[in-house]
Amino acid sequence: MYAEYLPRPTTPATALRSVESMEITTTELGLAARVQHLSRSYGREDGAVRALDGVSVGIRRGQFTAVMGPSGSGKSTLMHIMAGLDAPSSGRAWIGDTEITGLGDLELTILRRRRVGFIFQAFNLVPTLDALGNIMLPFELDGRRPSAMERARIDGLIQSLGLGPRLGHRPHQLSGGQQQRVAIARALATAPDLVFADEPTGNLDSRSGREVLSLLAAASAEHGQSIAMVTHDPVAASYADRILFLADGRLVAEKPRQRADEISRFMLGMEVAA
Amino acid sequence: MSAVLERPRAAASTAQAGSRRLAWLRERGMGATILVAAISSAFGVILIAATGYITSIARADPYLGESGSIAFVLGILTVVFVGLAMYIASIVTANTFATVIAGRTRQIALLRLIGASARSQRQRVAAQGLVVGVLGALAGLLGGIALAAAGIWAIGRMLGLDGISHTLLDPAFALPAIVVALTTWAAAWSGSRAVLRVTPLQALAGSVPATHGDTGNRRVRGGGAIVLLAAGAALLGLGVLVGLFSPLGVLIAFVGGVLSFTGIALGAVIFIPPVLRLIGRLFGGSVTARLAAQHALRHPARSSRMAIGVVMGVALVTMFAVALESMKGVLAAELGSELLAEFTSVIDAVSAIMMGLVGVSAVIAAVGMVNLLTIGVVQRRRELGLLRALGLSNRQVRAMVMLEAAHIAIAALVAGLALGIVYGWAGAQSAFGSISTNPLGEVMPTVLWPAVPLWPMVAVVCATLLLTLVATVVPTRLATRVAPVEALAAD
Repeated sequence: MYAEYLPRPTTPATALRSVESMEITTTELGLAARVQHLSRSYGREDGAVRALDGVSVGIRRGQFTAVMGPSGSGKSTLMHIMAGLDAPSSGRAWIGDTEITGLGDLELTILRRRRVGFIFQAFNLVPTLDALGNIMLPFELDGRRPSAMERARIDGLIQSLGLGPRLGHRPHQLSGGQQQRVAIARALATAPDLVFADEPTGNLDSRSGREVLSLLAAASAEHGQSIAMVTHDPVAASYADRILFLADGRLVAEKPRQRADEISRFMLGMEVAA
Repeated sequence: MSAVLERPRAAASTAQAGSRRLAWLRERGMGATILVAAISSAFGVILIAATGYITSIARADPYLGESGSIAFVLGILTVVFVGLAMYIASIVTANTFATVIAGRTRQIALLRLIGASARSQRQRVAAQGLVVGVLGALAGLLGGIALAAAGIWAIGRMLGLDGISHTLLDPAFALPAIVVALTTWAAAWSGSRAVLRVTPLQALAGSVPATHGDTGNRRVRGGGAIVLLAAGAALLGLGVLVGLFSPLGVLIAFVGGVLSFTGIALGAVIFIPPVLRLIGRLFGGSVTARLAAQHALRHPARSSRMAIGVVMGVALVTMFAVALESMKGVLAAELGSELLAEFTSVIDAVSAIMMGLVGVSAVIAAVGMVNLLTIGVVQRRRELGLLRALGLSNRQVRAMVMLEAAHIAIAALVAGLALGIVYGWAGAQSAFGSISTNPLGEVMPTVLWPAVPLWPMVAVVCATLLLTLVATVVPTRLATRVAPVEALAAD
C-alpha cells in the first residue's frame, strides 16, 4: 500500500495528466507535504489571535527540513496542521497527494497512523508498553502485523539505533536519549510520507541531542526519509538540508543548509527587524 | 478542575465573595461525593425506620408478642447492609478525592510555590471533605425520613395496619448521618495523600507528569490481612466439621466468615491484582485490550479497592442465594411438599429483599467506577493525546475505556461469585449438616452440595454489567474529547 506514495520521477506522462486534471499534484512538485494559503485563528472574533496568515509552503521529499521561528511565530501550528493534528481556519493542506483539509476525524486518524511519523519533545512513549511495544504501536493500532519487509526494516532500525538490549525496558527505565531513539524507531518503522519532529532535542543534554539530530539527518540522507522538524535551536536547525523561517504567522525566509552561527545571526536580525 | 478558570467575571464584587469561596463545590467529584454520602445516609435512615416499624408490627401481634429476637436479627442485618454501603461509600469518596487532587495538581503546586505548606493544603482538602460529607449526610437524612414515612404510610394502607403506633422520628436516625459525615471526612483525608507528593516545581510549565504508576515502588503491607484470612478460613473449616454433628457449627463458621472476609477486604491489594491479570489475559492481544488491561494494574491499590467493593456486594448476594438454595435441598427431604412450597416462597422473597438491599451498595460502587475511570482519563490526557496522534481512533479510545471498566467489573464478579458460593455453602453446611436426611431414619450427618440458583445469579451478573456500562458513559465522553494536540501541550 506504500507503493503509491513512493517517489515517482516526473515523466512527460505525468506532466500530461496534471494538465488534464488542471491541478499539479504534491508528488509531481517533488514534495512530501504542502500547504496553500493556510490561515489559522484561535479564539472568538473579537479577541481572535491569528497564528497563521496565508502560508504556502512545501516539505521537499527525501529532505530534512527545519521550521524555525520565535515563540508565537506559528511554526508549531503550521506543523500541527501539516501532520493532520489540527485543522486550519482556511486554506488547504496535502500529505502526499491526499488533501487532508476536510477529512473527518477517523480518516485523519488513519492517515496519521499509516503515513505520518511523530517525534515529540517529551512524553513520546506509552508508559505501560516496553520499547518494542512502543515501536510496534503504529502497526498494532492498525490491527496488523508488519510484513516481512517491514520487519526487516524495523530490525535494521533497532540495530542502527542501538536499541537491541533495551527492547524489554519500559520508558521510565530508559534515559531521555534512549527514549528519543525509541521514538525515532517508531516514527521511521512504517516508512511514512512525512516524519514530524517537534523540538526533538528540547529535553536532551547536548550530546544526546546531537546524536538524535545525526540519526534524523542520516535517515533522510541514506534512506530518503522526508522529515520536518520544528525547532528554535540554531544548532538543531544546522543539521537540516533546508530551513524555513516563520514570523508572525508568515513565511519570511527559506534557506539551504546553514551553519548554526549563520542561522543564529539571521534569527537575531529577524528579532531586531520586528 | 476547571472551576477556578470558569469563575464568573462578576465575582469581583464583594457580594459574591462568599459564592466564590464555595466555587470548589462545583468541581468535578464534589457532586458525586455528596450523592454517595446522601445515598448511604438515607439508606441507613430507611433501614432503621423499617426495623423499628417491623418491630412495632411484631409487638402488636398477639402471637409474636414482646419477643426481642426479631428486633435483634433485623438490627444485625441493618448493621451489615448499612455497614457495607458505608464501607463502599468511603472507598468511593477516598478515590474521588484522589481524582479531585489529580485535577488540582497545578493549582496546589502554585500555592506551594508561593509558600503554602503541603500539610495546610491537605487539611484544606479534608475540610472540604467534611463540608460535602455534612451536606450529603443532611440531604440523606431528610430524604431518608421522607422516603421512610411515605413507605410506612403506603404499607400501612396496603396491609390495613392502621392501629400500629409508630413514631416517624427516631433519634437513632441521626446515627447514620453522623457516621456518614465522619467517614466522608476521613475518606477525604485518606484520599488527599497525593497532595503531599505535589512539588512546587510542578507549577512550572513543561514539567513531565510521572509516567509510571505505583507499581513496585510501594511495599505491600498485607501480613495482617493474610493472618486474618488464614485464621478465618481455619475457623470456617472447623465450623463446617462441627456442623456435621451440631447446628452450633454455624456460629463458629460465622466468626470464621467474618474474619476471613475482613482479611480479603483489607488485603485487596494482594488478592485482586492476580485476578485482574487473569481477566486481562482473556481480553486477547489487541493493542486496545492490552493497554486497557495494563492500565488497571498501573494503580493496583486504586483498582483493587474499587473492585473489592463490588466483590463484597456480589459475594454477599451470592452467599445468601446459595445458602438459601442449599437449605431448600435439606428442607425438601424434611418437609412435605405443601410446607416446602410455602417455605420456598418465603426463601425466594428473603433472597429478593437481600438483593435489593445489596443493590444500594452496588449503585454506590457504580458511582465509584465512574470516578475511577474518570481519574484514569484525567491523569492520562497526555498519554491519550499521544495515542490519538499516533493513530488511535476515537472508537478505539472508547473501546479502551469500556474494556478497562469491564476488566474490573468482571474480575470483581468472578471473585465475588466464587467467594459467595464458598461462604454460602459453608453457612448452609455448618447449619444443616447435622440434620439427617436419611429416609431410613438412621442418624447420619449430611454433606450438602453447594446449590447455585440460576436466576438470582443471572440477575447479579446482568445488574453488575449494566451498572458498569452506565458507569462508562461519562468517562468515555471525556476520553474521546482529548485532542491529539494535547500530547504536545506542555502540561
